Amino acid sequence: MSEPFVAAPRQSVRASGWLTVAAAVGLVLVFPIVAHSDYRLYLGTQVAIYLLVAMGLNLLSGYAGQPSLCHGALLAVGGYVTALATTDHGWSFWPAALASMGLTAAAGALIALPAFRVSAWYFALITLAFADVVGGMLVEWGGLTHSFDGVVGIPMPSLLGHTLSAGELFWLVSAVDIACFLMIANLIRGRFGRGFVALRDNEHAARASGISLIGLKMFAFVVSAAITGLAGAFYAVQKTVITPDDFTPDVSIFFLVVVVLGGSGRLWGPLIGTLAFFVVPELLTSLQSWRLLIYGIVLLALMLFAPHGLEGTLRSGWRKLIRPRDALPATAPQAIAAPVGEAGRNGMAVTITGLVKRFGGVTALDNIDLQIEAGSVHAIVGPNGSGKTTMLNMICGFFKPDEGSIRLDATDVVGRATARIARLGVGRTFQTPKLLPELTATANAMLGAYAAERASTVEVAIWAPRAAREHASLSARARYFLGFVGLGDRVNEPAGELPHGQQRLAEIARALMGQPRLLLLDEPAAGLSLSEIDRLGALIRSIAGLGVTVVIVEHHLDLVADICRRVSVLDRGRVLAEGTPDDVFRDPAVVSAYMGVRPLTDAQVPA
Amino acid sequence: MDLDIIPSGLAAGSLYALVAVGFNILYRPTNVFNFAQGDLVMLGAMTGASGMAAGLPWFAALLGAAALVGLIGLAENVVAVAPVVRRSSVSHAWIISTLAYSLIIDNLVGHVWGPDPIRVDPPWPFSVTSFMVGGMRTSSYQLGLIVLTGVMILAIEQFYRTRAGKAVRAVAEDRDAALLRGIDPDALSRWSFFLGAGFAAMTGLLAAPTMYASTQLGPSLLVKGFEAAAVGGIGNNRGALIAGWILGLAEAFGGSVLSPGYQAASTFVLLLVILLIQPRGLFGAPEMRSV
Repeated sequence: MSEPFVAAPRQSVRASGWLTVAAAVGLVLVFPIVAHSDYRLYLGTQVAIYLLVAMGLNLLSGYAGQPSLCHGALLAVGGYVTALATTDHGWSFWPAALASMGLTAAAGALIALPAFRVSAWYFALITLAFADVVGGMLVEWGGLTHSFDGVVGIPMPSLLGHTLSAGELFWLVSAVDIACFLMIANLIRGRFGRGFVALRDNEHAARASGISLIGLKMFAFVVSAAITGLAGAFYAVQKTVITPDDFTPDVSIFFLVVVVLGGSGRLWGPLIGTLAFFVVPELLTSLQSWRLLIYGIVLLALMLFAPHGLEGTLRSGWRKLIRPRDALPATAPQAIAAPVGEAGRNGMAVTITGLVKRFGGVTALDNIDLQIEAGSVHAIVGPNGSGKTTMLNMICGFFKPDEGSIRLDATDVVGRATARIARLGVGRTFQTPKLLPELTATANAMLGAYAAERASTVEVAIWAPRAAREHASLSARARYFLGFVGLGDRVNEPAGELPHGQQRLAEIARALMGQPRLLLLDEPAAGLSLSEIDRLGALIRSIAGLGVTVVIVEHHLDLVADICRRVSVLDRGRVLAEGTPDDVFRDPAVVSAYMGVRPLTDAQVPA
Repeated sequence: MDLDIIPSGLAAGSLYALVAVGFNILYRPTNVFNFAQGDLVMLGAMTGASGMAAGLPWFAALLGAAALVGLIGLAENVVAVAPVVRRSSVSHAWIISTLAYSLIIDNLVGHVWGPDPIRVDPPWPFSVTSFMVGGMRTSSYQLGLIVLTGVMILAIEQFYRTRAGKAVRAVAEDRDAALLRGIDPDALSRWSFFLGAGFAAMTGLLAAPTMYASTQLGPSLLVKGFEAAAVGGIGNNRGALIAGWILGLAEAFGGSVLSPGYQAASTFVLLLVILLIQPRGLFGAPEMRSV
C-alpha cells in the first residue's frame, strides 16, 4: 500500500541520544587513565561485566516479564566454557567467547522450551531448578570442570599478538556494554519492545495482535542468555581463576536485585542498579553475612514502594518538577473518513457449522450454525451468559471448540493458534480493554501491526534505515488511526491513563493497525456516553466502508439496529433468531428472552 | 541397582508431595505461588527441633512450630503479598516479593541457628534405625511417613468437599463472584497463609529426621516441592502425591545408577519432559475461561 504518513522529525531525541553515547564513550576512555589504582580498574571492569548481565536479565525479566533466577548459572556456563577452552584446550579468547555465547544460549533455549508454555512463575521456578542443576554439575563433572579446584590461569585475550592490559580489557568490556545497550535500546524501540511488554502485561493482547508467544519468549531468552554467556567469558578472563563458589544461587539473586533496584523494564535501570551497588561496596563487605537479608529487604521495599526502581522514582520525581507536555498536533480528531490508501479491502466471510463448546458441565455453545457475509456488519446479541464472547473467542482461536468447524473464507481455523489466525487478518477488541498500560496510546496501536512489520531482527537491532523508516511510518499510521477513532489528542498518553471508553477506542485503533479483513468487537459501546455511541456508530460504519467484515457483540440495540445488516440472537448457547435488525427485534421469542415472558408492571421495575 | 531406592525414594517423594500440598493450600484461594514456602518448611524444622531440644514432646513441638510459622506466614501475607496483589492482580510482583521474604527468613534463621544441621528424632513409635524387608533396607519412620502422607492428603481432599472447602474453590475460580456470594476473599487469603505456613512447619518437622534441620532445607525443598506440584498439576493434591513419589523414585534412581550428584538433574529432566508434553502437569485442571 502507499505510505501517505510522514513521521514528525524527532531530531532533538536523536541528538540527545548521540550526546549520551558520546559522553559514555568519553567516560570509558578516560576511566583507566584516571583510575590510578589496579583495584579501581578491576572494580570498574567488574561493574562493566555485571552491567552486561544485568542488561541481559532486564531484557528477559524486566521487559518480557519472565523472572529468571538462573542468570548466575548462565554466567557460570559462559565463564566455564571460555575458561576451559582457553586453558585446557588452547583456544584463543575470541572463538572461546563465541562458544560461551552459543552454548549459554543453547542451554537457555533448552530449559526455556517447556517453561514457555506455562506462566511466568513456573518459569521462575524452572530457572531456579536449572541453577541448582548447573551448580551440581560443576562439581559432578569434575573430570571436565576440575570440580572444587576450579579453573586456574585463564589467559587474558590477545589481539594480533598483543595481550590486552587490564585497562584495555576494561575498554573492551565497556565497548561491548555500549554496543549491547544500543542494541537493546533499538530492540525495545522497535516491535520487539512492544511485543515483550505485551508478553509481560497482557498475553491476550499479544496473541490477538498476531504475536507467537513461544517464539518471542524464546527470542528474549536466547538473546538474554547469549549476552550473559559473553559476560561469563569476560568474567573468566578478568578473574583468571573461577571456581563453583563464584556462582552460588546468591549470584542469581544478586542480579535480580540489581535489575529491580535500578528499574525493572527500564532502559537505564541496569546501569543505575549496578552503579548503586558499587557505590556502597564497603558497606556490603562489612555486612557480608547479612547480605541475603539486605537483598530481601531491598527487594521487598522496592516491590512495595517503588516497583519501577530508582529509575522510575527519579523519572516520576523529574516529571513532577517540570511537567513536560509533548503536545503533538491532533491528527484530525473529528473527521471520520476512510483512511487514505485503506479502501477496497476484501472482507472475510465467516462460516460456522455445528459449533459446540463445553466448559466442564456447562455447554456454552450448543450446535451453532452461523453465516457472516463478507463485508457486512453482523451483530451477535443476547442476554448475559448466552455465549457471545465465547463465540468470538472461538473465532479468533483463544478456545478450541469441542465440535464443529469455523471457516474464515475457505480456511478452516479450528485448532490454529490465535496468533496465526490473527495474521490471516482477524483483529479484535475485548470486553475489558487489554491495553499495555505503561505504553503510550501510539505504541499500543503499533502493537497491532506487529505481524506486518518486515524489518529483520538484525535491522531492528542496529536500527538500519529500513527499520527506522518502518518505525516512522508505523508510528505515523498509529497516530492517524488514533485520530480516526477520535483519540488524536491522547496519542502520547500512557494507555493506562485513558478513561475506560477511550481505551476501547484505542483497542479499535490497535486492531485496525493489523489491516484486518475481519474485525471482532466485544461490547465496544459499554461505558460510552450517548454522543460517544453515535460517534462509535459512525466509526464502525466507516470501517465497514473499507470493506472490512465487522462482527459486533453488543447490548446497545439502538446502535445494533443503526449499523448492522444482520443480527443473530444467542440464548443459552443456541441461535434463537437471525435476520435483519427490524425482523429480529420484533420476534416474540427474542423479546421474551430479553425482557422475560410477561411485560413489566410497575411492581416489577427495580427501584 | 539397589532396591533400597524404593522406600527411600518414596519417603523423600512423600516429603516433596507435602511441600507441594503446602503450595496448593496457598495457591488455590490466592493464585499466589509462595516462593518462601521452602523456607517456611525449613523454619518449621528448626523451631520444632529447638522445641524438642528444650524437652517438649514431639506433638507439642509440632503444635508450637506450626503456630509460630503460621504467624510468620500470616505476616508474609500482610507485608509481601496483599499489598502487591492489591495494586495489580495480574502482575507477577508477588514472585519477587515472596522471594524477598524467603531471603529474609533464610538469612535470619542462619544467624539464629547457625549453619550446622540439627539432628531431629522421629515421633514415637517410629525410628530411623534401618532394617531389611523384602530385600530393601528401610526404617519404620520411612514407612510411616509414606503411609501418613497418603492418609493426610486424602483427608485434605475431603476437606475441599466441605462448605469451607467449597468457599476456597469458589474464590480460586472467581474472586469477585465469590465476594458477591458473601465469601470474604481477603479473610480466606489470611487463613490460607496461616494454614499453608502451619502445614509447611509440619512438613519441616516430618522432614527433619531423614534430611536434618538446616538452612539447606529451604531452597532444595522449594524446588522439589514445586516440581511435585507442577508435575502433579498445580492445585491438585492427589496429583502432587503421585508426582512426589514419581520424582522421589526418579531422584533415588538417578542417584543410584549414575551418582548422587545427578539427583537434582534427574528430577529436573523429568520435569522438563513432562511439562513439554503436558504443560499443566499429569493431572492438571483443564483450561479456564479467562478472556
